[in-house]
Amino acid sequence: MTDSRLTSGLLKTGTERLALLGKHAAVLMQAYLTDEIDESAISEQAIKKLVAARILWRPDEQQGLKLRHAVRDLIAEMLVDESRRQVNADVAETLQQLDNQVMAFREAQNRGDYLLAEQFQLRLTQTLDDFNSRLSGHIHSLWHRLNTDFGFVSSLNDKIRENERAQQQISRLLDGLDLIDFDRLIELTQTSGPLRKLLVSQLQKQVSAHYGSLREVQARMLQLMARFRRQQASSLLVHRMSRFLRQHPGFQPGNYALRTQVPVLFNQAEPLKIHAFAALDRSGDADILAQLVQQLPRRQGQALALTAASPVHWPQDEQVAARQQALKQAVEDYYLAVIDGQAPASALAYLEQKQLDWPPEIWLFQVIAEHQGLPLQQKRLLALVCEEAPASQWNEVRIIADVHLTLRPAKDWVHAG
Amino acid sequence: MTLSGPLIERLLSGAFICQVTDEDGFRHLQDEATREAIDAYLKPLNRRVASNADQTLFFVAYVHLDQSAREQLSQQLGITLSSLLPLLEWVQLVQEALGRDTLLTAGDVLKPAEFVLKSEDNQSLRERVQLLASDRFFNSQSDALDSQIKQIFRRLKEQGYLLQPHADKQVYLVTSKIDYLIDLIRFIRDEENLPLEDDEPQQEGLL
Repeated sequence: MTDSRLTSGLLKTGTERLALLGKHAAVLMQAYLTDEIDESAISEQAIKKLVAARILWRPDEQQGLKLRHAVRDLIAEMLVDESRRQVNADVAETLQQLDNQVMAFREAQNRGDYLLAEQFQLRLTQTLDDFNSRLSGHIHSLWHRLNTDFGFVSSLNDKIRENERAQQQISRLLDGLDLIDFDRLIELTQTSGPLRKLLVSQLQKQVSAHYGSLREVQARMLQLMARFRRQQASSLLVHRMSRFLRQHPGFQPGNYALRTQVPVLFNQAEPLKIHAFAALDRSGDADILAQLVQQLPRRQGQALALTAASPVHWPQDEQVAARQQALKQAVEDYYLAVIDGQAPASALAYLEQKQLDWPPEIWLFQVIAEHQGLPLQQKRLLALVCEEAPASQWNEVRIIADVHLTLRPAKDWVHAG
Repeated sequence: MTLSGPLIERLLSGAFICQVTDEDGFRHLQDEATREAIDAYLKPLNRRVASNADQTLFFVAYVHLDQSAREQLSQQLGITLSSLLPLLEWVQLVQEALGRDTLLTAGDVLKPAEFVLKSEDNQSLRERVQLLASDRFFNSQSDALDSQIKQIFRRLKEQGYLLQPHADKQVYLVTSKIDYLIDLIRFIRDEENLPLEDDEPQQEGLL
C-alpha cells in the first residue's frame, strides 16, 4: 500500500515538473544559450516553482538563476549539441548501485517477499538499461563528432582541442569498462538464473560491443588528429615560407637538378606532344579517309559576288602622296623638255639646271621608272642610256651614276614603229 | 592491369594526374602493376611514372638524367622557384578571404565571384589581390578587381592548380597539385635548413 501511494505521489510530482519544462520552454532555452535566466521574463511564482523542481538554481547571491546541469545535459542530448554533450561514464557508481540492488533483491528473496524482490529486479533492469543507454549515447556522440570533423567548432585549434577532449573521454570510458569484473558479478548472482542472465550474459554482450566500438572510434580519432596536425603544420609552413621569401628576395636554393640523385619532386619530364596525320600509304585507310573528307561540313552560304568586295585600299599619308605626285610631275616635265629639245640629255644635269631639290638617287629612280612605265611605242622613241660602272671587280653589281634620255632621230622612227 | 592510351597521352603531355583531375586514371595509377606496365611502355622515351610521397598525384619523370634532361630540369626549377612566392601568397589570400584556418585541399570548391565579393568590401584584401595580380606570375594588366581575379584563376588553371569542370561555369576545383606545392616548400625548408620554426626571425644568428 505504502509503495503504491509513494509511486502515485512520484507520478504526480514528476508529471507536474516535466510540464514546467514545457511551460517555460522558451525561457529555459534562452538560459541554455546565454547561461543565465532572464528573471524579468517570468513571474516570481514560476521562478519559485522552477527552483523547487530543481530545474533552476542560484549558485550564490550575486549570480543570476542558472539551469541545473542535469537539465543542461538533457537539452544538449536532445539537440545533439556536441559542444555541450558531456561524457560522464561513472561506471564505478553504477557498479556500486548494482551491488546494492542485488543485495536488496537477495534479502527480499530470502525473506520470501517476492513482490519486493520483483521490484528490485525491475530496478536492477532499469539501472542496467540506463547504463547501457548512457554508454550508447556517449559512443554515438563520439562517432557523430568524428564524422562531422568536429564541425561544431570552426577553428582548427578548437578542433584539435575538441579532439583531445574526445580522446580523454574515450580513455575514461575504456577505464570505466575495465572496472566491470565479471567474475565478481558471477559470484554476486550466485545461482539466480534471471540475475545471471541480466548481469552476466546480457551485460557482457553489451559491454563487448561498446568496447569494440570505442576502440574503433579511438583509432579513428587518432587518425583525424594526425590529419588536423598535418593541416596545422602545412598552414604554418606556408605562412612561414612566404614570410621568409618576402624577407629574402634574393634567396636561391641549390640546383637540385644537378645532383647525382635528383629528388623526384624536381624530376618532372618535359611534356611530349603526340601528333598524327592522315596517311595514304595504306590502301585500306583510303576509304575511311575519303569518308572523313565527305563528312567534313560543307561551307554554308553562297559565295560572295566578287564585286561586293572593294579593292584593298591602303590608307596613304597625304603628304607622302603629294610629294610622290610632285616628283612624278617634275620627271614628266623633264621628259617633255627632252622631247622639245630644250633639256640636256643627262638627267642629273637637268636636275642641277632646274635647281630642283630632289635627292639625285630618287630622281634617277623616278626617271628610269617613268621610262619603264611608258607604252611600248613611246618607249622606243625615247632612248634611255644608263651611265654605269661595276661596283667592284669582285662581283657583278653595277652602279648607275647618271642616265641620258634622248629622243631618237626621226629616221629611226619607222624602224622603231 | 590495363594500359590506357589516353592516360599515357595525358601523362606524357605533362599533366598531373590526381583524384580531382582524372579519377579513373588516378585509380589505375594507384595499382602498382599498371604503373610498371606504363613504365615499361615509357622506357624507350626515357620516361617513367613518378608520384609525390603520399601518392596523391602522379606525373612523368626522366629515367636517366642525361645532360639535356638536367638542363631542362634546371630551367624548370628556376621557373618553379620564381612562382613560389605568388603561389603561397595566393594560398594565404584564399584562406583569409574565405575566413578559414586550414589550407586549401584537393577537392575544395572555389568561386571567383565569391572572392570578388569578399575583396570588394575589404580594402586590405583588395590591395593584396591587386599586388598579387600584377605579379609577373599572374601578369594582369587590368585595374578592375573582377578581371584581376579572373586572371589569377586563369593562370592557376593553366598551371594545373585548379580545374574548371565546366567551361561555361565560373566554378573551380582545387587539384592535388597543391600537395605538390607544399611538398616542394617542405623539401626546400629541410634541404636548405631554413630557420622557419620560430615565429620571429632569429636576428641573433645573423649578427
